[in-house]
Amino acid sequence: MGKVVGIDLGTTNSLVAYVKDGAPVVIRDASGDALVPSIVSFAAEGTVFVGREAQRRLLTDPGRTVYSVKRFMGRGIDDVRGESQLLPFRVSGDPGGVVRIGVGERDLTPPEISAFVLKELRRRAEEHFREEGEFDFEVDRAVITVPAYFNDAQRTATRDAGRLAGLEVLRIVNEPTAASLAYGLDARNHGTIAVYDLGGGTFDISILRVEDGVFQVLATGGDTHLGGDDIDLALTGLVLAELRAAGLASSLPMGTIQAIRKAVIRAKWDLSDTDAADILVEPSEGLPAGYRRPLARAEFERLIAPLVERTLSTVRQALADASLSSQQVDEVVLVGGSTRVPLVRRRVEELFGRPPRSDVNPDEVVAVGAAVQADILVSGRREMLLLDVTPLSLGIETLGGVTSKIIQRNSTIPASGRELFTTGVDNQTAVDVHVLQGERELAADCRSLARFRLRGIPPMPAGLPRIEVRFQIDANGILSVAAGELRTGVEQAIDVTPSYGLTDEEVERMLIESFEHAEADFDARLLIDARNEAETVVQATEKSLRRPDFDALVGAEVPPAERAGIDVALAALKQAMAGTDRDAIGRLTHQLNDATRHLAEVMMNRSLKEALTGKSVDSV
Amino acid sequence: MTSRPIVVRAETNPTESVAQCRTCGAGAPVDDHFCPSCSRILSLGRHGDYFAFLGVPRRLGLDAQDLERRFRDLSRQFHPDYFYNSPPAERLASLERSSYLNDAYRTLRNPGSRIEHLLAIEGLAPATADGGNATVPPSLLEEVFELNEQLDEIRELRQSGTDAAQLRARLEAATGPIQARRDEHERRMAELSERWDSLAPDAPAAERRATLDALRECVLERNYITNLMATIEREAAANG
Repeated sequence: MGKVVGIDLGTTNSLVAYVKDGAPVVIRDASGDALVPSIVSFAAEGTVFVGREAQRRLLTDPGRTVYSVKRFMGRGIDDVRGESQLLPFRVSGDPGGVVRIGVGERDLTPPEISAFVLKELRRRAEEHFREEGEFDFEVDRAVITVPAYFNDAQRTATRDAGRLAGLEVLRIVNEPTAASLAYGLDARNHGTIAVYDLGGGTFDISILRVEDGVFQVLATGGDTHLGGDDIDLALTGLVLAELRAAGLASSLPMGTIQAIRKAVIRAKWDLSDTDAADILVEPSEGLPAGYRRPLARAEFERLIAPLVERTLSTVRQALADASLSSQQVDEVVLVGGSTRVPLVRRRVEELFGRPPRSDVNPDEVVAVGAAVQADILVSGRREMLLLDVTPLSLGIETLGGVTSKIIQRNSTIPASGRELFTTGVDNQTAVDVHVLQGERELAADCRSLARFRLRGIPPMPAGLPRIEVRFQIDANGILSVAAGELRTGVEQAIDVTPSYGLTDEEVERMLIESFEHAEADFDARLLIDARNEAETVVQATEKSLRRPDFDALVGAEVPPAERAGIDVALAALKQAMAGTDRDAIGRLTHQLNDATRHLAEVMMNRSLKEALTGKSVDSV
Repeated sequence: MTSRPIVVRAETNPTESVAQCRTCGAGAPVDDHFCPSCSRILSLGRHGDYFAFLGVPRRLGLDAQDLERRFRDLSRQFHPDYFYNSPPAERLASLERSSYLNDAYRTLRNPGSRIEHLLAIEGLAPATADGGNATVPPSLLEEVFELNEQLDEIRELRQSGTDAAQLRARLEAATGPIQARRDEHERRMAELSERWDSLAPDAPAAERRATLDALRECVLERNYITNLMATIEREAAANG
C-alpha cells in the first residue's frame, strides 16, 4: 500500500497535503511554495508543462496553454460558449456533450487536462516522501476536494481526472467542509460555523453544526461560476473598453490579452493592501507603448460590488435553508484567495455582525482538511466525522416535462430515494428515464445528468407493473441508479448515458492514451528538473554578484578574468533556459557551476571568518 | 414501445420481522444494526419504521436533543468512512444503513413529516403524493369557493390597472379566512398529537384508529391549504 494524500484541485492553484503522526503537513517545493498554478502547457514538440513553467508560457505560447480548466469540468459546450471568447485556447464540443479543449493537434477533455495537474501534485508528494527517506514513497490514493455546489457531472469529472492521474480517489470532499475540518482541529468542540469560500472560479457557503466531533452540514449554497476569475474578467473588460475607445484594441494578439490579464491581477492583489494601484502593461505586440492606468480602491470596489452582492444573497438563502439567522452563527471562516479582497471581508463582517476568521492560510486550509479526511478514511480514527449534504435536488422528468424530486437539496449524504413507475401502454416493455439535478419546476430548466432506458419489463396491461427505481447518492455526492419490477422481482438492465460526462470506456481509452504520451511527459519532467536546477545556480550566482562587498573582492581575491567568465557562463545558461534543449541546459549549468566554484569558496571563507569574529563582513 | 415514465404512489413498505446476517448467516431482530452473533454490520433489507430504527417510541412528541444525539451516535457506527477497509458486503450495508438513518432523522426531526410517517406506518398514508391539490377537502369547500371568487375579482382589478399596494391588501383580506383555518389546524394537530401520545399501547384499536383518522384529515387539509397558498403567492409574485 502506498501513501495517501489530500488534494485541493483549485481553479487557479492546486496543492497537496498529508497527515504525519497525527498532524497535517502541506507539501512545499524547495523555495517553500505550496501552490502549483493549475495551468497546463502543451509545447509543440510534445512536452507538457504544469505549474509555474506553464504559467510563464501563458505569455509566450498562449494558444497551447490551458488555465482555469476547472470551470469546464462536467460541463457542455452550451454552458460555456459565452465565456470562451477571451480564452487563448480553443473550446469546442458537440451540443449536449462534454467540452473539448483544443491544444495544437490534440483535443482534450477537462478531466484529461486536470489529470496533468494531479500528476504533478502526485510527483511532488512522491519526491517529498522520497526526501523524507520513506521506503514506500509511492502515492496511490487521494481525497480530492470540489466546490460544495458542484453537481453530479462535475464531481464525476473530478473523480475521472483522479483515475487518469493513476490515483484511487478515496473520497470527493466539499471544499468548505474540508476547511471546517481544518479549523475544527484546534479544539472548537461545538457551535455553528459558516464557511465562506470565494476561490478563483467558484463560490460556496456552507453552514455547519459541530458537536462531539461530528461536523454536520446544515445547508450549503453556491455558484460554480463566480470567483476571482470574474473580478479579473471585469477588470480586463475595463482595460479593453478603454483601449477600444482610444482605437487600440482592434486586434490584440492573445499574448497581449494575457499580459493585460496578468497586469490587472497584479493591480487587484496590490489593492488588497493599498488604496491605489496601477494597471501596468509592459509594451507588447499591438500595444507598442504599453499601458498604464491608475485604479483607486473605491473604483475597484464599485466595479466588483455586484459580484460580492451575488455571494451575499446566496449566503442569506443558505442561512434560511438552515433555519438560522446570521446572528446565530458562532464563527465565520474565510477560505479561498479571493477573500483577501477587503470589500469581501467587510461585507461578510457586516452580514454576520462579527469579524471573520482567516487564521489558517486561506490558500492552504482546504488541502489540510482533505488530508485530515484522507487520514480518517485509512486509519479508521473515529474522533471526527463529516456529514455533508447534497447541494442540489435530484429528480426525474415526468409527463409534461415536469421535474419530480426524489432527493431534496441539503439532504445529508449518503442519501437514497426511490420512485415507483408504471407503464402507459399495454405490454410496454421499456421506459425511458431522464435524471435531473436542480431546483426548477421544469425539466428543461434543470441540469440533465443522465438518460437511461429501463428494459425487460414483463409484458402486462398498462398501469399494472410496479417498477421501482432506486437512487443512491454516496458520500462523494455521486449518484448511482438501480431498478426492478416489484410484482415479478425482475431486476432491470440500465444503460446510463451521462449527459456531460465520460463513459467508463472513454476513461479507459484515455488511460491507455496517457501511457502512450508518458514518454513525452517524462521528457517534460526532465526538462523542468534541468531548468529548476539551472534556476538554483543562477539565483545563487546573482545573489553573490549583488553583494555590496562584491566589487571590493574583484581584483583582491577574484581576478577580473574570472568575473568575466562568470558573466559569460551566466548569460549562456539564461539563454539556454528559454529554450527546450535539456542537454544544453544541463551542460551550461555545470559550466556556470565550475566558473563560480572559486567565487563560492571565497564567499564561504568570508562567511566563516565573519562567523568566527562575530562581525559582519560589511564592518570589517 | 417506450414512453415517459408515469409515477405511481408508493405502497406501504412491507416490514419483515427477522433479518439475516450476510456475513455469518445468523438471524437477527429486524431493528438491530449489528449481528448479535458475529457483530458485523447488518444489511438493511426492507425496513419501514423510522421510530424503531432510531430506537425511539412511536410518539409524536419527541425530544429533539435526544433524537439528534441518537442520530450522531448511529452515524458514528454506520458511516461509510469507517468501512473503507471492510469487505464489499459490509461497505454496502454501511452505505444503505447510513442513507436510511439520514432519511429517518430528516423525517422525524420535522413534526409535520413525523406525523405523515406515523400515518404511513400505521397504514394510513395520505391519499395523494403531493398533499392533495386535486380535490378540495369537504370541510374547506366553503372557504375555497369564497376565496376563488375573490381571486377572480383581484385578477380583474389587476387587469384594469389597480395599484399594487391596493391589490396586496385585497389579497391579504381574501386569504384571511383560510389562513385562520390553517392556524386552527396547527392547534388541532398539536392536540391530536398529544392525544396519540397519551394513549396506552393497549388502548382499544378503535380509539387508536379514530385518533389517527382525525390526524390524517388534519394533515390533508393543512397540506391542501399550504399548496393553495403557495400557488397564490407564486401568482402574486409573478404579477409583481
